[in-house]
Formats: sequence, C-alpha cells, structure tokens
Amino acid sequence: MNTGIAILAILRESWLTLRAEKLFKLVLGLNMLVIVAYLSVGFDDTGVSLFFGLTHVDSEYIRSGTPFARTLYLGIYSAFIVNLWLAWAASILALISTSSIFPSFLKEGAVELVMSRPTGRTTIFFVKYIGGLLFVAVQVGIFTLGAFIAAGWRVDVWDPAIFLAIPLVTLFYSYLFCVNVLVGVITRSTLTALLATLLFWFSTFSIHNTDKILTENVIRFQTSATRAEKRVAELEAERDAATAAGQTKEAEDASHWLQGPQQKAEQAQAAVDQLLPWETVMGLIQAIMPETDRTIGLLHRMLERDADLSMQDLMSGRAFEKDEDHVVPDEMEAAQIEMVDRENEVPGWWIISKSVVFEFIILGIALWIFRRRDF
Amino acid sequence: MPAAIDIQDVEKTFRKKVRALRGVSMQVDPGQIFCLLGPNGAGKSTLVKILMSVIHASRISGTMLGMPIGHKETLRRVGYLPEHHRFPAFMTAEQALHFYGSLSGMRRANRLKRIQAMLELVGMAAWRKHRVGTFSKGMQQRIGLAQALLHDPELLLLDEPTDGVDPVGRREIRDLLIHLRNDGHTILINSHILSELETICDQLAVVVKGRVALEGTIDELTSDRRRWIVAYEGSGPEWTDEETRQDGRNTQVILPGASANDVQPVIDRIRGAGCSIIDVSEVRESLEDLFMRALELAGEDAATPGANKGRPT
Ligand SMILES: Nc1ncnc2c1ncn2[C@@H]1O[C@H](COP(=O)(O)OP(=O)(O)OP(=O)(O)O)[C@@H](O)[C@H]1O
Ligand SMILES: [Mg+2]
Repeated sequence: MNTGIAILAILRESWLTLRAEKLFKLVLGLNMLVIVAYLSVGFDDTGVSLFFGLTHVDSEYIRSGTPFARTLYLGIYSAFIVNLWLAWAASILALISTSSIFPSFLKEGAVELVMSRPTGRTTIFFVKYIGGLLFVAVQVGIFTLGAFIAAGWRVDVWDPAIFLAIPLVTLFYSYLFCVNVLVGVITRSTLTALLATLLFWFSTFSIHNTDKILTENVIRFQTSATRAEKRVAELEAERDAATAAGQTKEAEDASHWLQGPQQKAEQAQAAVDQLLPWETVMGLIQAIMPETDRTIGLLHRMLERDADLSMQDLMSGRAFEKDEDHVVPDEMEAAQIEMVDRENEVPGWWIISKSVVFEFIILGIALWIFRRRDF
Repeated sequence: MPAAIDIQDVEKTFRKKVRALRGVSMQVDPGQIFCLLGPNGAGKSTLVKILMSVIHASRISGTMLGMPIGHKETLRRVGYLPEHHRFPAFMTAEQALHFYGSLSGMRRANRLKRIQAMLELVGMAAWRKHRVGTFSKGMQQRIGLAQALLHDPELLLLDEPTDGVDPVGRREIRDLLIHLRNDGHTILINSHILSELETICDQLAVVVKGRVALEGTIDELTSDRRRWIVAYEGSGPEWTDEETRQDGRNTQVILPGASANDVQPVIDRIRGAGCSIIDVSEVRESLEDLFMRALELAGEDAATPGANKGRPT
C-alpha cells in the first residue's frame, strides 16, 4: 500500500516534469494537426477530396465505395501516419522530451531526496522507465482514437486493429528508450543520452536496410543465375537434339546462343558468391538488434490482413493492371516481390520477442548500474 | 535505551581511490542533538548519505534505530535534509511536499494536515502555491526542512540545515531543534557554523580525513578543560604566574581547572593592585577549541581539505 502511494507519486512527478516542458505543447499541437489533416481526406463519387473539400483529385478507381479507397485510406494511416509521423517525427520529439527523465532525476541534490526513502531502487527504476513509456502510449492513444474515428467516418472501416498502433509504437519506442535510459544512467546527461539514442536508432535502421538491400540483391542474382541456367539447359537440349538429328546448322546456332546465358549464369553466380558472406554477417548482426522498423511494420500487416488489395499493389500501380497485361516480372521486380513475401513470412512473435530480449538485456545493465551507483 | 545510531568501522572508498571514510565508528544516543563536525571533505556528508542508503559503504556494520544500515523500511522513521538539495523547480511548495510525503508512504489525509503544519512551522505558509524554483536559497532550505520533518521522523539527519538562512531564520531553526529534541527526537546535525551549535550540542564527533578524531558528550570532552577567566581594565600583572591574555585595553587572567574558590584570591590581588574588574566567568572549552584540538590530535596536514587518496596506510 505504502509502495503504491510512492509509485503513484513518482509517476505523477514524471508526468508533471514532462508536461512542464514547452516541447510537450508543441508535440500535442502537431499531433492534432496531423490527425486533422488525415481527417480532411475524403472520398466521393468522382474521386478524392483533400483539406475538407478545398481541393479535389478526380480518379476513376479511387472514389467512395471502392476497395481502392479503403486500402488507400488505411494505407495512409499505416504507411505514412504511423510509419513516418509516429515512428519517426513524433518519436524524435518524444525522445527529446523523455531523454531528460533519468538525467534530471539523477541530478545531484534531487536524487538524494528520493533515494533516501523506503521505496527500493529497483522499483524506482521501473516506475521511471514505465513512466516514460506511458507518456508515449498516452500520446499515441489519443492520436489513434482520432485515426479510428477518421477511418470509420471516411471509409466506414471500424477496425480496432488501428489501436494496435498503441502497443506497437510504444514497443518500438521502448527499444530506443532502453538505450536512452542506459546512457542517461551512466552519464546523467540529457544531451548525451539523446544523441546516443539517435545514433543507435540510426544504426538499427542502417543495419536493417543494408541487410535488406544485400538480401534483395542476392535474391536478384540468384534468380538471374537460375533463369540463365534454365535457358542454358534448354539450349543444350536443343543443341543435343539437333546434333542427334544431324542438323549441324541448328546445332551450331544453339551452341552460339548458349554462350550468352552461360556467361550470364557465371557472372550472376560470381555476384552471389561475393555478396553471400556479407549478407550472412549483416544477417547475424541484424539478428541481435531490436527490430525497430519491422515492429512498426506489423501494424501494416494487421491492417491489410484480409484485404484483397495491398498498399504495395496500389503504390506500384499493379492494382490497376488488367489480367491480360500480366507479364513475367524481370529479376529486379521478382526480387522485390520475393522480399515482400519473405518479409510477410517473418513471424510477429519472433520480431517482438528477439527485440524484447535485447531490451531486457540493456535494461538489466542499466538497472545494475542504477542500483549500485553512489549518488 | 539503545543508541539511535550505532555504527562501527565504516569505510568508503570512491572510484579513483578516494578514501572518504577510513573506519568511522560512532554512537548517537536517542533524544540528543549530535553534532558532526570536521573540515571540508572530511567525509561528513558521505557518512550521512551512507546512513540514508544513497551511497553504498565499502564496509559497514551497525544499526540505525535498531535495524541494520540499508534496511529500507527504517528510512520511513528518518528525516533527511541533504546538502545542496534541489526540488523539481516547476513544482509549487505544496506539490513538492506532497511528492516527498508520498515517497515516505504518507496517506493523503495525513499529508494535507502535516504539510500545512510544517509550512507554518518553517514560516513558508504564505508561499505554498508558489513554485519552488522561484524561491531564494534560504526559502528552499526552509522547504527542505519541512520536507525532512513532514513524516514526523524519530531521527533527523540534517546536512548543513542553516546554509543560506538569515539570522532570524537560524535562530528559529535552532529553537525548533531544541523543541524537537525535548520532544524526544534524535537529531544529527552537520554544520560549519560552530557558534550556532554551541548552545544546542549534546554530543559531538569531529571527523578528520575520514576518521573520528574526537568524540563524546560535551560534558565529557570539556570537564577537564573548564577554566575561569577574570578580566580587568589595565595591562597585565607582573605578579602572577597565571596565563594572561591581552584583550585591547583589558587583560584576562585564565585559570584552567580552577574552582570558584580558587578565583577569589586572584580577584583580591587584582583589586589590591587598584584595577577594576570587568568580568568574572566560568568558561567551558568552546566547540571551536574542541575542533582545533581534534585537528591537532589528527596530525600535521589535517587542516587541508579533501579525503586521503591512495592505498591503505
Ligand atoms: N560521489 C562521489 N564520488 C567520488 N568522490 C566523492 C563523492 N562524494 C564525495 N566524494 C569525496 O569524498 C570526500 C568526502 O566528501 P564529503 O562530501 O563527505 O565531505 P564533507 O565532510 O561533507 O565536506 P563539506 O564540509 O565540504 O561538506 C571528498 O574528498 C570528496 O571529494
Ligand atoms: Mg558536506
């Protein structure tokens, strides 16, 4: 009971501290602005209206009642609003606010007043940590409520999966925040903690993308090697058949045509051999890093879970192709499609649990230092 | 009654081999005002922080209020005013006190009652709705004191409580401490303003370079150093063996270890010589004298600030 009073007091103090910052109001205002902008997109019989009808884009496909409108509207939410705004801009702003939680708490003169109480250091640590996450969760919560209402109003989709943004963004944020806390506890400096976190974030982002690009290229070269080998096999069969039939001219032709694909297959294989070790190394590094991007990506997956049409199709224009237009994609496209498929196959539990393991390790170190430290 | 604080062999070595405490033992009796004295960097604040579990000792054994040092629940019964404390600047005096009261596990109803009472006690009732960040140093110190007293602790550890407080405030604090002691509270106070402690100190320890150089009750420490001083107008007499001290146009004859009887002949002699007596008084050794004595006991470089560095000696 007494610990309960203390926990509430610490949470309240964190909240008051964060609210006292000027940035708080700015973030709140910007959140409002984004949600109003989202709300201002509407669909009618002839196309899309923007800014509450201020401008209008005519479209044959994307108008009210079409599946395109639904996919687009939800896609704007998951791909732009959550991915770009919540998971980038708003997160940077939140990091700027919450970076000060531990350093300002640990300031000389302030920390003695709290550490000299009956509440244990472990409790204090976790309450402070959760306080930072709550701050983010509350902001995202208000935000998603707006998005939920917007989607219901605009495209008549009342999908509670929209609220998945709350745990997912908070989870994503917690991967960064644990690093923030670790550096904050060690250095007691807001600025250092902030910069270190941004650096860490940037590195997870780069590692993830480097890994992606490497994998994509490996797939691409593998596809082209396979295709070339297949072509080689076909031509060889042709040549052998011609030789057997005594058609020397045709056999020679086939042998001649064979050289191109053969060379291509060799080159592609060489490229694969060259890239593969790097891809493996990046894959290993990626395996121990928290999945910042993919965690956010889970929301997207959930929102499109049973739609026939994906945002990817919309963006690439594939959604508007007629069946007869269908052509075999080139290697690059094939690799991209393969990547999307593979990405969708990575299980959600794996993405989350490996990231959470990372977070626990970092938090464990931070807590260990926090408990042992002399203030 | 068991000691309020009873610690043995406290050692603390900070990183970079700063040996702040090198085997400190002391006992603070309940219901006493205990003064912790010592030069800058002697380790006084470190010792208090160890008692409050803000700093971990390298070695310690002993108890506070009958429980082992570091026992968290016991801290509910202890009030602490840290040196150079600072409150969340954006909080009002009232909010800050609610915060600290809650940390000590006080319920709201109790907090409301006590906060009002404490703010009145430290003379800050009119400022309860104002932000702590706008307060002067002395005002912050008063809030700090209110914070330490809020949960009605049995034991108070005050690290330089009068730092920055005006003369009237100091006097009020002094009276408050006496009142608290008479109420049965135990107070450990750490201050450099010896004159202020003079009239309230029951027990003391002088810490020098991480060691206790002198410890005991005032009576114990000063009993063999009582003396009488007879002051009169005029210059020093040639006819006495007693120690004399010139004080402007006056002279003081100092009679260590004397009783009132021993003084009478000296008075007679002075009067016989036609000088006017200004003052006859019995003087105990002052805290300042005790402090200096402790430094002498501790050795040559005792007066230089800071802790000892390097390997154990
Ligand atoms: N957190 C710390 N890390 C490293 N060294 C410390 C730390 N706190 C104190 N010290 C060192 O321990 C020694 C004792 O410091 P302490 O603050 O206890 O002295 P003090 O007796 O309170 O002095 P003052 O009268 O100036 O307040 C000093 O040499 C100081 O440099
Ligand atoms: Mg000190």
